[in-house]
Amino acid sequence: MDLFLQQLINGVIIGSTYAVVAIGFALVFTVLRVINFAHPEIFMTGMFAGLLAGSHISDNFFVVLIFGAIGAGAVGLTLERFVLRPLRGRDVLMTLIGTLGVAIMLQNGMAKFMSPDPVAYPKSLQVSLLLSDDIILTSTQAVNFIVSILLLAGVSFYVRKTRYGRATRAIAERPDVAAAFGVDVNRVSQVTVALASVMAGIAAVSVGILYGSAWAFVGLFYGLKAFICMLVAGNRYFEGVILVAMMLGVIEALVTGYVSSNFRDVAAFTILICVLYFRPNGLFGSYDT
Amino acid sequence: MWIYAYWEPVLIITLIHVIFTAGLYVTALSGQLSLATAAIAGIGAYCAAVLTTNFEWPFVPATVVAIIAGGLVGAFIAAITVKMRDFILKLTTLAFGEAVAVICFNIDYIGGANSFTGIPLFTSIWVALIATGLVLYVAWRFDGSRLGFASRAVRDDPLAASATGVSVLWVRMVTFALGGAIVGAGGSLQAHYVLIINPQELGFFVSLTFIIFLLVGGMQSLWGPVLAAVVLTALPEVTRFANEYRLILYGFVIVLVVLFRQEGMVTRIPTGRGSRLFNSSGATQKAAE
Repeated sequence: MDLFLQQLINGVIIGSTYAVVAIGFALVFTVLRVINFAHPEIFMTGMFAGLLAGSHISDNFFVVLIFGAIGAGAVGLTLERFVLRPLRGRDVLMTLIGTLGVAIMLQNGMAKFMSPDPVAYPKSLQVSLLLSDDIILTSTQAVNFIVSILLLAGVSFYVRKTRYGRATRAIAERPDVAAAFGVDVNRVSQVTVALASVMAGIAAVSVGILYGSAWAFVGLFYGLKAFICMLVAGNRYFEGVILVAMMLGVIEALVTGYVSSNFRDVAAFTILICVLYFRPNGLFGSYDT
Repeated sequence: MWIYAYWEPVLIITLIHVIFTAGLYVTALSGQLSLATAAIAGIGAYCAAVLTTNFEWPFVPATVVAIIAGGLVGAFIAAITVKMRDFILKLTTLAFGEAVAVICFNIDYIGGANSFTGIPLFTSIWVALIATGLVLYVAWRFDGSRLGFASRAVRDDPLAASATGVSVLWVRMVTFALGGAIVGAGGSLQAHYVLIINPQELGFFVSLTFIIFLLVGGMQSLWGPVLAAVVLTALPEVTRFANEYRLILYGFVIVLVVLFRQEGMVTRIPTGRGSRLFNSSGATQKAAE
């Protein structure tokens, strides 16, 4: 029972980070019809922006968090203007290759200018044990989870209650009709990419603090999983993506705990094949191009 | 002579990449963009390497087995994906590739996570040149054959193609089998040159390299992807003087091609025996204008 609870906690925590990255994928894909494979690298850039702020300015938690957000947002906006916007409306696979080129540049650029190996992260938070001895839950894990949940709640509010959120949903439904009704698609794209990037940056900082290190190639780990979450859920309901990401985190943790960590990655792809076989548009529908 | 000694490995790897890309091109000719190239190559490589290493078979029969294995796997994937939509087909091949990688990772007979080692060296520059020549000849003849044009018809509109009497299932199975066979041969060549098979190299990101060659080169003729494979394999080597920047440059070149040459590098329309059948077709008219 202890093992089960422990893996459940671990799974929900990693799942909440998957969810933040997957929501970024889903938002950008829905509005721009571009599979943004550079998104996990924006996550990584945010992590390093936080690290630089932590080592040069102050290792206060909020300073690191804000600089992570600014760094990721700046990269995201540049990317939107020069790569994502020209790619809009092109074949989906071409968008994947183009953004993958950007991802290769960002990864190797960061490895060149920072370090190709993991770098120690500023210790902004005291690590302490929150639960009993049998089940481990540290304060950094809790903070990571709370940050992710706040971000996810924020994006849910944004999509349902704000003007840009309404425009996002309109574009998701019918881009041409939305444009005909006066939605400024360029502006919404900009806001969407900025939002997705800032969220990724903040989540990245909390992940960096949790694991105590930043790595130029960290994006690969989160990228593929988050992409699968978006595909399994479909991009119609963002809450669906969150749910699937959380569940994937839990399933992976349980597979690791009870079977073997080698089979952890099989879980994601088995789920993907099964879902696509029975529901070719994802569990909750959409992603038609 | 020392220049040649330095360039020989680059040349052999480039030729092997050309073989993989030619196989991928043949598969994609009927509209099936396979994201499992590395997995099929891996299956071919494992088959041939086990035969030469554990059973001391000569190189050529072992490679023939690899070719047959690749062809069977290709035909199998084509048969299960024939009814799927384009986007879902790509994802299924992706999931198939990842599943193969994980399964090989967990089979101890072929080394499992520790990689398969001790493979004898068979691939010399001459073997690679002859194999590449054969593969390009087969792919070129297929490209211009009646079946090649039937494949293009299936790619452009499966429904219309089947209405004019083309069997979509047959065409897709033949192209995927032929493409798989070529990729399997490439896998055998690679295994007997690199002398190690690492199950992690069977996954999505390696397959994506060849997709990049294909899309950067363009789908209009066989020579585009071949040129792209040569340029993009050699580019990181030619730019080795700028050691730390070369992968950044690699990503940059991909982004530039995707943004500014949508159709790929080579956009000449195909020629060949089969094209005589299509004198009144749109492609020929466009060439005449």
